[in-house]
Formats: sequence, structure tokens, C-alpha cells
Amino acid sequence: MNYKVKNNSLDELIEMARNGDMEALEEIIRRQQKNVFATLYYLNAKPDEIMDLTQEILFKVAKNIRKLKNPKTFKSWLNQIIINQFYDTLRKKQKSVKKVCLDSSPDAKNELEIPDFASNPYQRALDKELERAIKCSIHKLPDPFKMAIIMRELQGLSYEEIAQATNSNIGTVKSRIARARLKLQEYLKPYIN
Amino acid sequence: MLKGNLTCEDISRLILPYIDDKLNEDKRNRVALHLRNCPFCMEKYRIIKSLFDTIKQKNIQRAKKFQQYKLLSAYCDNEVSQNTKDNIEASLALSCDLVRRVLKINTLKKILNDTFEKKFENIELNLEKKVIERLKSQSIASRIKKFFLKN
Repeated sequence: MNYKVKNNSLDELIEMARNGDMEALEEIIRRQQKNVFATLYYLNAKPDEIMDLTQEILFKVAKNIRKLKNPKTFKSWLNQIIINQFYDTLRKKQKSVKKVCLDSSPDAKNELEIPDFASNPYQRALDKELERAIKCSIHKLPDPFKMAIIMRELQGLSYEEIAQATNSNIGTVKSRIARARLKLQEYLKPYIN
Repeated sequence: MLKGNLTCEDISRLILPYIDDKLNEDKRNRVALHLRNCPFCMEKYRIIKSLFDTIKQKNIQRAKKFQQYKLLSAYCDNEVSQNTKDNIEASLALSCDLVRRVLKINTLKKILNDTFEKKFENIELNLEKKVIERLKSQSIASRIKKFFLKN
């Protein structure tokens, strides 16, 4: 762990990285990696591709950080990279022949399973069930709704930042988030009422 | 094609565009004339028109309901102007149904946020070194390439 950059704010780190500070850049990657990984996970990237995609996105961030003019727009810039990379992979996949595994269910096996010893087994089972329900519900949403709600709730972006990242206007973002919520409320009814 | 008086068969084809107001003035007038003189087609028209009106009304209601939901959803994200916020809060004081809807949105927000937070805790990644190494090696490679191109 590098203590020199540990206490800097993200804005400061971006400024430092833009001036060629590799340690600052490393710290930015360290802080953003979970964020990128989780976003892809809920966007419905294939489990065995999430890690590669995450790495590719982080590499693009590192490579292009100098091109980011205003540190304040970092979040929407990062999300633009995530979206583009995600769609690129989808496009490539559509071009290649779809392979179907006949031996087992494709979804369940490759998930990242890390034991959590903090809570009791019952609570853990409940959390896991809810997590799965949420993941499946988000996966069912159309792409623009899915992206808007993930950026809002997972990444905490403002409507303006989401509009920038998705190249749309605030009114559209507002509608997409509301539509996504309506659908999620319907899918997750047993957990909400 | 549609010269002279319209037949009941013509009306069957024209009745939907007529209700939808998609016909030109001449055709519209001829359909209206036929309807006035043909009780059978008139009855058919009445049934279809009333169905259309019901659907239209439902769509309007649905759109209104969604507009209201959209406003509440933005309110829960603190993404409305102060004026709208005041108006919503005044309405909340008067309507239990509105309060329930806001509560539902906030509950959804909470379960999503809690779940995402737990997911974050469970992800273990250390990609930073790899990424930086890749960046450095790419930059060295491009410098070598430039050097050889120059010489």
C-alpha cells in the first residue's frame, strides 16, 4: 500500500496522474477496479469474461487519463469507457458463432464465490437469495434502463453525469431510471412489500 | 378505386383509419355518409369507436401515472428543483397513497444499495500492478519502435 497517495482525493489523484505520476494512477486503478467489476457483473457480462473486460477497461483508463480534461467529469468518462467496451464485446460476440454448453447450465457455475464469514448462515442464505434475485431482475431490463439504474444506484452518479456517460439528456435519464424502478419493483415485489 | 357510393366492404377497410382520423376530407365525408345511411355499419363503428376510446383513455391515464412516478423517482434521488420538492412534500402530507409510493421507491433503493455494498465487500481484486506494468511495457515498446523508425 502506498501511503503517499492513500489520502489524496480522487480529483487530486487524477490531476497528479495527468501530470505523469504513476503512483497516483495506480491508486486510481486500485480504487476503481471493484466499481468496474461490479458494474459489468450487473450489466450481464459473461462471468468468465468479466475479469478480462475489467482489466481492459482499467487499462484504457490508465492509457487515456491524460486526455481527460476536467477531473470532475471522471465518473461519466469512466462509464463511457465501460459502456463502449461492453458493447464492443457484445458486437464481437454476435459476429462469432454462439457456443452452447450441453453439459451444464451456463450461468451458475462460473460465478465468483467468496465465502463471507461475517454473518450467520441463515442471514447469508437470505442475502444470497436477494442478491441473486436482484441480479436476475437487473439482467432482465432493457440495456438503456439497466445502465441508467446501475450508474445511479451502484455508482451513485448524478442524473447529469449519467446523461453525459450515455450521451442522452436529463429528461431521458429521468424516464429510464423511473422505468427501471417500476420494472424492478414488479420483479422484486416479495422483497419490497 | 372508390368511385360512387361506398359499400359495406369498403367501410370495413376504412373504418379504422376513419376513427384514427387518417382519411382525406373526401373519403371522410363519404364514410360519414355511408354510416348515416347504414345501421349495420353504424353499429360496427360504435363498437370499435368505444373500444378505441377506452384504450386511448387507459393510455392517457397510464402516461399520467408514469409522469407522476417519474417525478417521485427523481424526488427520491434528490434530483428535482426546490420548487418541485416543496410541491411534492405538500402533496405527501395529504396523501397516504403518495407516501406509500415514495416508501416503495426508497425501499427499492435501500435493498439495491445494501446488496451492491455487500457485493463490493466480496470482490477481491488487485489489478492495479498488472495494469500499470502493461502500460509501462507498452510505452517502452512504442519508444523502441520510434527509435528504430528514426534511425
